[in-house]
Amino acid sequence: MKRRTFLQFSGMTAASALLAGCQSKNEKLIPYLIPPDEGVTPGLATYYASSCTFCPAGCGILVRVSEGRAKKIEGNPDHPVNRGRLCARGQAVLQELYHPDRLQQPLKRTGPRGSGEFQKISWAEGLGLLIDRLKELQREQVTDGLAMLTPQLSGSLETFVSGFMRAFGSPRHLSYELLAPDWLRQAGRESFGQAGLPFYDLAETRYLLSFGADFVESHLSPVQYGNAFGRMRQGRDTVRGHFTYVGGRMSLTAASADRWMPARPGSEGALALGMARLILDEALFDKAALAANGLRPEELLGRLKAYDLPRVAELTGLAKETIAEVAREFAGTRPSLAMAGETVAFQTNGPESVRAVQLLNLLAGNLNRPGGIYPAGAPVGPENSFGELMTLVNSMRAGQIKLALIKGDPWHGIPPATGFQAALDKVPFIVSFSTLLDDTALQADLILPDHAALESWGDVVPLAGSRHTVHGLMQPVVTPLFDTRQFPDVLLAVASELGGEMAAALPHTSYLELIKGTISKRVGGPKKGGEVEAQWVELLRRGGRFDADKGPGKGYRWAAASSLPDPARPRFAGDEKQFPLHLQVYPSTAFHDGRGAPLPWLQQLPDPMTTVVWDSWIEINPTTAAGLGISHGDLVEVASPQGVLRLPAVIYPGIRPDLVAIPLGQGHKGGGRYARERGVNPLVLLALVEESKQQAAWNATRVRVTRISAQGDLVAAGHPQGSYRSDLIGI
Amino acid sequence: MEKMTSPYKWGMVIDLDRCTGCGACVVACQAENNVGLCDKKEISEGRNMHWLRIERYWVGEYPDVRVRFLPVMCQHCHDAPCEPVCPVYASYHNPDGLNGQVYNRCVGTRYCGNNCPYAVRVFNFYQHEWPKPLDNQLSPDITVRSRGVMEKCSFCIQRIRRAKEEAKGEGRQVRDGEVQPACAQTCPAEAMVFGNLADPRSRVARLSRSPRRFQLLEHLGTHPSVFYLKGGGREHV
Repeated sequence: MKRRTFLQFSGMTAASALLAGCQSKNEKLIPYLIPPDEGVTPGLATYYASSCTFCPAGCGILVRVSEGRAKKIEGNPDHPVNRGRLCARGQAVLQELYHPDRLQQPLKRTGPRGSGEFQKISWAEGLGLLIDRLKELQREQVTDGLAMLTPQLSGSLETFVSGFMRAFGSPRHLSYELLAPDWLRQAGRESFGQAGLPFYDLAETRYLLSFGADFVESHLSPVQYGNAFGRMRQGRDTVRGHFTYVGGRMSLTAASADRWMPARPGSEGALALGMARLILDEALFDKAALAANGLRPEELLGRLKAYDLPRVAELTGLAKETIAEVAREFAGTRPSLAMAGETVAFQTNGPESVRAVQLLNLLAGNLNRPGGIYPAGAPVGPENSFGELMTLVNSMRAGQIKLALIKGDPWHGIPPATGFQAALDKVPFIVSFSTLLDDTALQADLILPDHAALESWGDVVPLAGSRHTVHGLMQPVVTPLFDTRQFPDVLLAVASELGGEMAAALPHTSYLELIKGTISKRVGGPKKGGEVEAQWVELLRRGGRFDADKGPGKGYRWAAASSLPDPARPRFAGDEKQFPLHLQVYPSTAFHDGRGAPLPWLQQLPDPMTTVVWDSWIEINPTTAAGLGISHGDLVEVASPQGVLRLPAVIYPGIRPDLVAIPLGQGHKGGGRYARERGVNPLVLLALVEESKQQAAWNATRVRVTRISAQGDLVAAGHPQGSYRSDLIGI
Repeated sequence: MEKMTSPYKWGMVIDLDRCTGCGACVVACQAENNVGLCDKKEISEGRNMHWLRIERYWVGEYPDVRVRFLPVMCQHCHDAPCEPVCPVYASYHNPDGLNGQVYNRCVGTRYCGNNCPYAVRVFNFYQHEWPKPLDNQLSPDITVRSRGVMEKCSFCIQRIRRAKEEAKGEGRQVRDGEVQPACAQTCPAEAMVFGNLADPRSRVARLSRSPRRFQLLEHLGTHPSVFYLKGGGREHV
């Protein structure tokens, strides 16, 4: 209401009050004398504990609810992963609930795929369509014609969905996310014989060496590690932890580093081994740790002969003195900690490079030590979902898949070079469970919209933010806004309708009942009805169970059988002459892999490094840009062997001259009014490297950049170059 | 009349050695204070409504380049340049040392915004919309400002009020750490500490005496309530 209208209204109200002075209008003047709804006290907020499922970190949240509406999301102070803190994305989840373009009821496609023409239908009709298709598969005895695509799920949902697929008789359940840490599990299996993810005791370390692990914005558990970073710096009285970052692009994490080492893309593993050799050579290693892991230094040194300092300096493009200095600092400061991240892992030699970093940790004696690295308390997950994705693409291409059930937005999140989009188009019937009309939902034949996260029941096992196993709970904080149903409840309804084996395997009446069952089984304790209920309520109130479970008792030990890593020279897609620049795609601070793009708070949040809002951009080193005649904000064309994109350029002083970088997350065809047709999706540029098609090498594509025009339409909240007068304010 | 003195002097310390520039505080502030959604056009005109922004500075050249982040919100100056210029006393100093803004007094002269050396006051050049059902997220504790009104960080005064009322009800003072603005509450790295500077034993008062401390544009003599602690790094240790 405008102020002027308000004044007019209040004038009128005052006048009418005078006129109607004698009549009894009291029931309208004091509407809140009797509370309007049960449990709602006007002006008094209630906090509900729940868990965030926006990324697999699984932080605990408290949602402030006032007058029956969710108002704000805050961190749960009792939760061991995020300790009362929350990132920008976690807080914006509120806008998923109240998004103006949310799907309000089931939809059936009427136009061609991708056209966005849908017809509203009832749940009975929608479920009927799905059940007919499933019965058809059963009748024709091709139950493996059903494929299920989900992000990497955790807790009960993971067991439940795989149970559903098993009962139906289809092995084709793909849990795929572009940024899933499969590579880290795989490296753990090869080096230590255990595929669990690591927990880094960052807060207690004195020397942190990160090989492309961007723990502030995306790596494993950003809030946990962001918090630990603060404590590492200033949480101890006499010690300030030192931080060195290795990577060709200065990421948000690297911006906080004391030293930045812009190694050539793909050479990070060689750098780690070069440091390892120097540490062995100068006998700076932890003798006891080496002996405990059954390794002999002379033998190790012999096998690392190839990684001498001059060669490593040549491979990485860094100065010999710097490499030696960092190696000595790393080995000489105890406890120290080396981390490997996505930037390094998504190269053709990624798995070997990650293992090289693990070897560095072993040499400095950082395994199973305070300030070092421990196995995390989360259960194991997929180790090669990319391989599974390629298998599924082949089956879809061969026409073996008749029905695809999709949770999430793989259409936007999987690089087209895998052939996924073309293959999915061959599937005769696609069902999406999206809450918005996202890119995948646009291709679907039937949409059965899921509840928003804040309307859902669930449990969450945080990915890697704790040494202990943590069980977080999710509860609905508001009554569902629309005629939507929770994804597992839809599957339960389908199972009971299909009857037979399906109904027997999944006998629960609701997903809530299933969660209650699994939780009470996991927690143990009382068996009687009333006490079980009381225990459940107490767990809900606290947001889950945080303390009792110990993580894996076994620490890390170098597997005797595992050979030493050998990150040979990395390979890249695209000819060096034709495509002179390396391309790095990285998860955007605001959108992660793209799931945050529909939320306006995140679109409006200036990117910390570039301050760009509501857009995509390509980061180019000033020297390179000058050579190509590109200035800040110009529209440029980026061409790779796989595709072509046009987007604005950002002159970025913190990137190697032979490297350009584009953030992930934008370029949606759907996803509501705030995400649609905004920016570009850099995944279309990514090519598969010829010799290694079974590996997710997303940073191994070469590109060419040319200037198109000055009209890049780039909007940044801050000055493009930052202020040159930081000396004025003394920082 | 109640005496215009107060046992509180609210202030904040921001440790730049902890701050990672992640932007969690920016969203927290927008969520807590019903700050309007600005589209691309509005921001291109320099009319972003964020009460809290993170300044980013590039220092040096490749490969010896560094980045520094500086979260900037209203500094709640004790000699605030914005206060004396307001013709309608919309911008005023409250007994707790806060620089208040009375929205329904504001007539939109923008003198205060002009006079603020920190550029933290934002003006509603447009009517901001929350398309249904997005309006459900609006907090009932804070007015939704209409077009033509100046607004800015209030140190989440609604939270301070609530804490003071609760403390008064129990006949005590607000305890250290009992009240936090949304930004300090969410900051993953715990870079922001809020509290009562008048209590020398409070955490914020102790940190504000750190040898690393400095204030923004100190030489202007505005006497801000926000202290920054210098970031580390090789050139500082």
